[in-house]
Amino acid sequence: MSQQRMALWAAEADIDEDVDLSLAIGNNYGNDHYEDAPIQPQIDGSTLIAMQQHMAQQAAFGQIPDVVKGFIVHFHQAVKDNNLAEIMVAYESGWNKYTEKFYSKTEWPEAEVIAPLVKDDPIFLILYRELYYRHVYSRLQPNIDDRFHSYENSCELFNYLLNSDGPVPLELPEQWLWDIIDEFIYQYQVFCTWRSKTKAKTDDELAMLAESGPVWSSYSVLNVLYSLMQKSRINEYIGAQREGKSVEEINEIVGEYGQKPLYRMLGYFSIIGLLRVHVLLGDFTLALKVLDNIELNQKSPFTRVTACHVATYYYVGFCYIMLRRYPDAIRTFVTILNFIMRMKQYHTRSYQYDQINKTADRMYALFTVCHALAPSRLDDNIANIAKERFAEPYAKMSRGGQDALAAFEELFLYACPKFIIANSPPYEDPVAIQALVSPSPGDSQPDLTAPTQLDATHRHLSLFLADVAAQTPVPTLRSFLKLYTSLGAKKLANFLDEDEEEMVQEMMVVKQASRSISRLPGTEGTGLLQGQTITTSDLNFVIDENMVHITESTVGRRYAGWFIKNTERTQKILDDLKNSPLPAPRANQSASAPEQQQKQAKPTGQKVAWGGVKTSA
Amino acid sequence: MSANNWTKPASRPQDIDNLVSGVDRYNPSNVSILEDYLYHQIRSEEYDCLANLAILKLYQFNPDLYNPDVVINILVKALTATPAPDFNLCISLLDERTPNTQSDEPDPLPVLLPLLRQLQDLLYKCRFPAFWKTYGSGEYESLRDNYTVEVTGFENAIRQVAIRAVTTTFTRIDSKRLGSYLNLDGKDLDAYVKALGWSVDNAGIISVPPNPDNQIEATVVQEQIKLPQLARVIAHAVKA
Repeated sequence: MSQQRMALWAAEADIDEDVDLSLAIGNNYGNDHYEDAPIQPQIDGSTLIAMQQHMAQQAAFGQIPDVVKGFIVHFHQAVKDNNLAEIMVAYESGWNKYTEKFYSKTEWPEAEVIAPLVKDDPIFLILYRELYYRHVYSRLQPNIDDRFHSYENSCELFNYLLNSDGPVPLELPEQWLWDIIDEFIYQYQVFCTWRSKTKAKTDDELAMLAESGPVWSSYSVLNVLYSLMQKSRINEYIGAQREGKSVEEINEIVGEYGQKPLYRMLGYFSIIGLLRVHVLLGDFTLALKVLDNIELNQKSPFTRVTACHVATYYYVGFCYIMLRRYPDAIRTFVTILNFIMRMKQYHTRSYQYDQINKTADRMYALFTVCHALAPSRLDDNIANIAKERFAEPYAKMSRGGQDALAAFEELFLYACPKFIIANSPPYEDPVAIQALVSPSPGDSQPDLTAPTQLDATHRHLSLFLADVAAQTPVPTLRSFLKLYTSLGAKKLANFLDEDEEEMVQEMMVVKQASRSISRLPGTEGTGLLQGQTITTSDLNFVIDENMVHITESTVGRRYAGWFIKNTERTQKILDDLKNSPLPAPRANQSASAPEQQQKQAKPTGQKVAWGGVKTSA
Repeated sequence: MSANNWTKPASRPQDIDNLVSGVDRYNPSNVSILEDYLYHQIRSEEYDCLANLAILKLYQFNPDLYNPDVVINILVKALTATPAPDFNLCISLLDERTPNTQSDEPDPLPVLLPLLRQLQDLLYKCRFPAFWKTYGSGEYESLRDNYTVEVTGFENAIRQVAIRAVTTTFTRIDSKRLGSYLNLDGKDLDAYVKALGWSVDNAGIISVPPNPDNQIEATVVQEQIKLPQLARVIAHAVKA
């Protein structure tokens, strides 16, 4: 069975010749595929094994609690009816509820076992397996079979969506669609990380990896994402929408697939997925380039799913850091961190809240890093929270020097994405892999858990730290310059106890560090890579032969925030006053006590207040 | 400076642009087109970072295509873009490789990569005199003789890096100092400065033309209130 499934994605080889990625997916997928589920013994040739399997499954079926059976039947019905509200309830609360109750430490029943409950509905079983494996990855330790099978299941799902005869009649909540894409990339990332650790693999695992072919290969993953984008014509859709075309025109442009919300949202999410995959692979320019058509603002459709919204900004911000565009990174983080702060009050009970909070914390760390490299006044609120959370590293980073590097490293490693290596170690070559697994004598003791020398994270870290190290003299020089309006180069060099020429060269670094390419306001829609050089520092200087002249921009006092806040507060107090009932006259107090109580019990009732007087006036 | 010319240099041909912007960039059979374009850049003093990154992307996905000479040439070209992050962006795509034992010729990249990174570091730190000293040392002979010699205008492109830094930082600069940044003296330096259109006085002090970065002015940033900030106050006033 796995053989047959693999055949579809072996189409990867086609890409080599094929220009159009969507064609490379191929149509060599057997139509009879869904009929070979092992639950139907007549298809399985050897009856004995089938019988045994069947009995084992019946036993497993008996183990399932009745409420879970009921839940699955209900869930299936909701999916069959395309009842989005019911699907959402089952997906968001039902599944999590029963996971906590029955499956917090063990797998959900296998799809084959619950198949009779859903009348062997192949589509529901694929969706069920999607949830089944996601649960294995998040709660348990996936073994190699899980890793391979979850890949096959994802392929079946995407194959069903992309290669059916026309758009499929399925509807799923946007949240779930995002989770499908997100989980697909997550499992790819986990697989690549696991694969790159050549040590501590069993012989079976080595054998399977040698034969793994396209399983979780980078080309396969990109293929899925690009195919979903092309099928839904999402970029054309975004373009048409920007041009303000009518619904009919847009429908004409996007075709039968792109009209359906399922495909359109999968297209959107695939763009964000590509952003993430490119970042994981260390291609920060391409990552931003795939977002060329997407406008990063709160109105964009990808913001409708909070997890997607947050992930997008995280990866975009990180790209900007690697492009040394710290002001852009800061702006990106500030936008999303403010958003997360505002939505906190609504989302605290959502099952994704923990995940969002973790990402937010990593963004505070990255914000702190950027803030140390290019201090800005963009948002004092976020800056204060960041400095509070990462007080110690922040102090070290802004002082400069050796301590600073250690602090930069600590925050980078904490907050960076989980980078991966695009290619597998040479599992198909037993000699080469043997050399990796058991290094020649004389090498240090192999560490079974540590990644091998193929470590992408440290490559990116070393590049980032080299950038930072070049800037270490900047804070010290700036602090001296701040004290003067003009100063001889020799004198400055003496203060620093440095050679004058060396110091002058460092001054060029200070200048360089206070300039950055940045997107300008009013250039929305021009692509995230665009921008102009801007000044990032208040301190400006110039060297006239051997004399340094210094100026500093200062910020006038800010009044607006204070006045706006207090105006709003006063308005609220006035409203509250208007809406509160008039005090009852003292004399009648005892007589009208019950009535009074009643009134207090339902303050939303009739309002005998100044507001009423005013409207009648 | 604008990023437009970086994302799409004016010199980029249309077919290359189609390749770089579309899914065709993943097609391994296009690698030779991009490699040819790189050699065209090398001969004609052009530079196209994104197209070169597309080559490295193909190498990342298809280790069989890997050609160390191409990688080294890409890195040499990226050096000339400092202080832009191009060099680092290239390194980011160079996944570690398991040494190919079958190949007869030794891979020159592992030896040259640390040397190139050292050069990039000196440039990024504006240590121009040290750059020239290091670049001219015996250790770098193989890089000079086998690679940079083929890159038309390489040394002038590095001088441009220094000139960019000087332009932003200085209003006037001693010609000896500038000479040490450019690795030029005497007539060569005079000619170079003249070609830039910069003027020299009798004492050998060179004036750097005014530009936005070497004109300094103390400013007071005034607060600007945007309409959305007032939206709630106004909305409330309208309702009342």
